[in-house]
Amino acid sequence: MTRAAHPEAMAPPKKGPTRTAPPRMPGSWWGAPRIRTYLLFGATGVVYFLAGTVVLHLVWALGKGPDAWATVMASLSHPLYLVFHALTLISVLFVGIRAFGTMMPKMQPRGGPLPVLAPGLVRGLIYSAWAALTLVFSLILAGKIGS
Amino acid sequence: MAESKKMLRVEISRFDPDRDEVPKTQEYEIPVQDDWKVLDAINYIKDEVDPSISHRWSCRMAVCGSCGMMLNGEPKLTCKTPLSDYDETIKIEPLANFPIVRDLVVDMDGFMDKFRKVKPWIVRAKARAEDMEDLNEKGTFSQSPDQLATFKQFSMCINCLLCYAACPVIANEPEFIGPAAIALGHRYNLDSRDEGQAERNSIFRGEGTVFSCSFANECSEVCPKNVDPAAAVNQAKLAAVVDWAKGLVLPREGA
Repeated sequence: MTRAAHPEAMAPPKKGPTRTAPPRMPGSWWGAPRIRTYLLFGATGVVYFLAGTVVLHLVWALGKGPDAWATVMASLSHPLYLVFHALTLISVLFVGIRAFGTMMPKMQPRGGPLPVLAPGLVRGLIYSAWAALTLVFSLILAGKIGS
Repeated sequence: MAESKKMLRVEISRFDPDRDEVPKTQEYEIPVQDDWKVLDAINYIKDEVDPSISHRWSCRMAVCGSCGMMLNGEPKLTCKTPLSDYDETIKIEPLANFPIVRDLVVDMDGFMDKFRKVKPWIVRAKARAEDMEDLNEKGTFSQSPDQLATFKQFSMCINCLLCYAACPVIANEPEFIGPAAIALGHRYNLDSRDEGQAERNSIFRGEGTVFSCSFANECSEVCPKNVDPAAAVNQAKLAAVVDWAKGLVLPREGA
């Protein structure tokens, strides 16, 4: 263990008669596979922040008129933007699978009026709803429905 | 037991509060046998090589939760971890995130203090006539297998504190009550005999409790008894919020 943890981590409420060494934490957490997943999960927040600024930019262009809108839409096909779109898609899939596929099934409330479903069933329901919503929005964006 | 000539280098963290400022590492080269657990290697060193080493252990069968240590940086029960998992070198250190008393022994008082806060016992709102009737008739409060199944998983915790050593929030937020204590508090909240949910939920909503958890899931990954404390903490989040929302619209009992 190479890094100091918070000096008060797990400190006793009253100091004992024996001097203790301050708490340590593994310095290799950044390299540990489990922590890497967790950190990546948190790091996707940066991607969503950037995606949010793109959306704001689109809204701003919409307010400026058809020419501004067309210019912004054309800029979205720039190779760098395409890489960003791919990164956003990967982030959404990663967070969706980790949060809704792995974590949510075990957050089901216990001891209440609702039955506790098998994690696989919850995962299946969430993924089905996800696929259905993606399909509906894709059809709307493609002008197949609602236009 | 067949003799083996396999040698293993064991690096053990040493700390003497009377002499050292910070822990240092001491190396031992010992002969090991294929069927040994890590605890056997530590005990061999203590018995045959260096009796000054301090470490905690008791049951040797992953029940007492005493022998949790960091093995090559991972929190594990040494009595449950086969030595054959390690090739030539193993580094043994005290549990991360705890003050170190001596060598491999950590100070657990901080945990005991956090543990008490969640009232890990059955709370009855008040001694009632029907309680006494139930007790007199059956000798205990009755509970169905289904009611037991609701919380049984969370009652399997052995307080080995591996989850505290793995939790990134514990390392940085001293106020956080932590996975095992919350899992045990949640276990009593789910117990059909318990009536202390409102009290515990109000503790869970306080500073440094369930909402400090960022769901890293590390606690569940390292738990040797498959308690899944991360599930308990996040179920407790939901229950604490529902309890708070109910308090806004429903009158409290006795109010």
